[in-house]
Amino acid sequence: MELGPVARVWHQGVPEMNPIVALLIFPGGLFVLTLGLAYEWVDRKLLARAQNRVGPRWFQPLADVFKLLAKEEVIPNDVNPLLFVGLPIAALAGALTAALYVPIFGLAPAYSFEGDLIVTVYLLSLLTLCMGLAGANTLNRFALVGATRTLTQLFSYEAPFMLALLAPAFVAQTWQISAINSYASTHWLIVTQPIGFLVALIGLMGKLELPPFDAPEAETEIVAGAMTEYSGRGLALFRLGKGVEMVVGLTLVAAFYLGGIGGPLDFLLKTGALLIAIVIIQALMTRLRIEQTVGLWWRWGALLVLVQLLLYILWEVVTA
Amino acid sequence: MKQEPQKVITKKGERFIIPIGPQHPALKEPGHFEFAVDGETVTDATVRLGYVHRGIEKGVESRNWVQNLYMLERICGICSHTHAMTYCLGVEKLAAVEVPERAQVIRLIMAELERIHSHMLWLGVAAHEAGFDTLFMYTWRDRETVMDLLELLSGNRVNYSANLLGGVKFDISPEQADKIRQGLAFLAERNTHYLDVVMNDMLLLGRIRGVGVMTREQAEKLGAIGPTARASGVARDVRLDAPYGAYRTFKPKLILETAGDLEARFIVRLREIADSCRLINEALDNLPSGDLTVRMPRRIKEGETISRVEAPRGEAFYFIKSNGSDIPERIKVRTPTICNMGSVLALAKGHQLADMPMILVGIDPCFSCNDRMITLRRSDGEAETWSWGQLREYGIKAYQR
Repeated sequence: MELGPVARVWHQGVPEMNPIVALLIFPGGLFVLTLGLAYEWVDRKLLARAQNRVGPRWFQPLADVFKLLAKEEVIPNDVNPLLFVGLPIAALAGALTAALYVPIFGLAPAYSFEGDLIVTVYLLSLLTLCMGLAGANTLNRFALVGATRTLTQLFSYEAPFMLALLAPAFVAQTWQISAINSYASTHWLIVTQPIGFLVALIGLMGKLELPPFDAPEAETEIVAGAMTEYSGRGLALFRLGKGVEMVVGLTLVAAFYLGGIGGPLDFLLKTGALLIAIVIIQALMTRLRIEQTVGLWWRWGALLVLVQLLLYILWEVVTA
Repeated sequence: MKQEPQKVITKKGERFIIPIGPQHPALKEPGHFEFAVDGETVTDATVRLGYVHRGIEKGVESRNWVQNLYMLERICGICSHTHAMTYCLGVEKLAAVEVPERAQVIRLIMAELERIHSHMLWLGVAAHEAGFDTLFMYTWRDRETVMDLLELLSGNRVNYSANLLGGVKFDISPEQADKIRQGLAFLAERNTHYLDVVMNDMLLLGRIRGVGVMTREQAEKLGAIGPTARASGVARDVRLDAPYGAYRTFKPKLILETAGDLEARFIVRLREIADSCRLINEALDNLPSGDLTVRMPRRIKEGETISRVEAPRGEAFYFIKSNGSDIPERIKVRTPTICNMGSVLALAKGHQLADMPMILVGIDPCFSCNDRMITLRRSDGEAETWSWGQLREYGIKAYQR
């Protein structure tokens, strides 16, 4: 695997720093975690303001993580302790690894190779998969139902979401995220592929289990869904993983559809705009039942993206 | 002691049960529901109530008539005025005392303000159960208006303590009346907006339209009352069927929907808010002059009576028996929730698990009001009654396990 430009710059510019730093501190690791917490705060605060609430203070997500880390992690009876402890770690690791392949903060990805888009999309699914397994690992009834719903939801949005991310790849003729990013910087794909943009954005909300796709953790039905038995460290890691996934997902959608990400300011503006869009959708909608979610994705999401793809292929044939 | 392994993975033929309660985020009060599910579909439902039994009916038998007014007002935190009013109406009937007209109208105004606040509270809770938190936050913000009006009149937000045996405690001044009118105008406007949201928001409709349908026959058979019954087309409203107090002069509109689903229950309650606003305005415009109280005897004549009042959730029923002393012989309270609880269990079957909280909340349940102690009599006529000592022993043993 070749080092990306950023890692190379770090490597050359600061001789005593090695790729480990790029992985653990900047632009991967700690930096992405911080960014994830910051985005979580913006999400919570804006949603609160939209709902006529005050919302949390700026350090609340960080404080939550510290509080959870300081608490005892209760491992329930009759679970596989290895899985119970390991799954949150795997989930966070997957999300953090995905961050290395996307242009976080407008810098070139730390690592890049042809086909890294597919790897990233699968790394993003790792979190959901881990949450589903974590729920199925415990014997809690709410967690079991939550796990079923999490995995059902995964299977419903994954294909349309993937297709929506592949559409720009087809246009750019490459499956390398950085190459699509540079192609997109001259082509605003949201104009030519509005359906793909919508499906990608809403698919991201499904991935993050944000309302209206929060059936897997609908508190009025199944308490906390798959996370019901988690407390302390495991819950903190899952939450951190979700924050990272939000940053990575927003970066991907912004890079592909909103004219690429050229620098830090570009990154903040575009992902910020997407975040606001997500908040508005969250505030306006009622939670969907799980079978409504599945129906929505397979009846509308997948079909519309496929139609868009067909149109694109037709266009290619006609112009050629 | 080592815990028994939890048995959740069911064998063939065994049912997978989702417990909701006694402690559950969907419930604001303890109740226990067990839903047997097949995947996401509910196949069976049972309920166990009684977690917040407070022994109020027994308590009133050792307090005098005036003390009981305060005791009974605390049966319910939402419809406190209703309980006090029902009690007062009954006792006044027993004592053959006619309450001044002005007091009766003030009671009506309080009762209708209470109905508005109860229905708005319900709207928020129902929206929250559906996962529509924005509507929840907005309705509860607007509900503060009616809470402020109640505080303006009585000084309290929850237990208004408006009633006295033989009248009411406070008057409504013209300035207060103006403030109420202003508040109601705002509420009526917001109410129109919420009605628009409930009837036109596609996603919300997806969760409430056609969900939990109770037909008119079912509603009559299950003995549903209040807005729950009216949403199924059952014309049942104590304020109209057996008018009491000022309702003889000021007539509420009978609000009926025929669909019987959750949407109909939303619409009935929202339109009742609008009608309550109209009724209060009418009452304020025609407030009779006169005294607020009449003198009540300390001892109530021997006899028994029933009194019924339309609470926000349906009919509240009191049976009051006096033996001629200053302490009642027996007061039996029946709150609306217990009548509607059967509909929850009947409607649950065949619905999605995700609909359960909504169907449950659809009747606007109030658990602590309806919890009762029941005495079981075996066929040999032996009543199983436990003494205090036995109960204590049982409690100690239960915690040692």
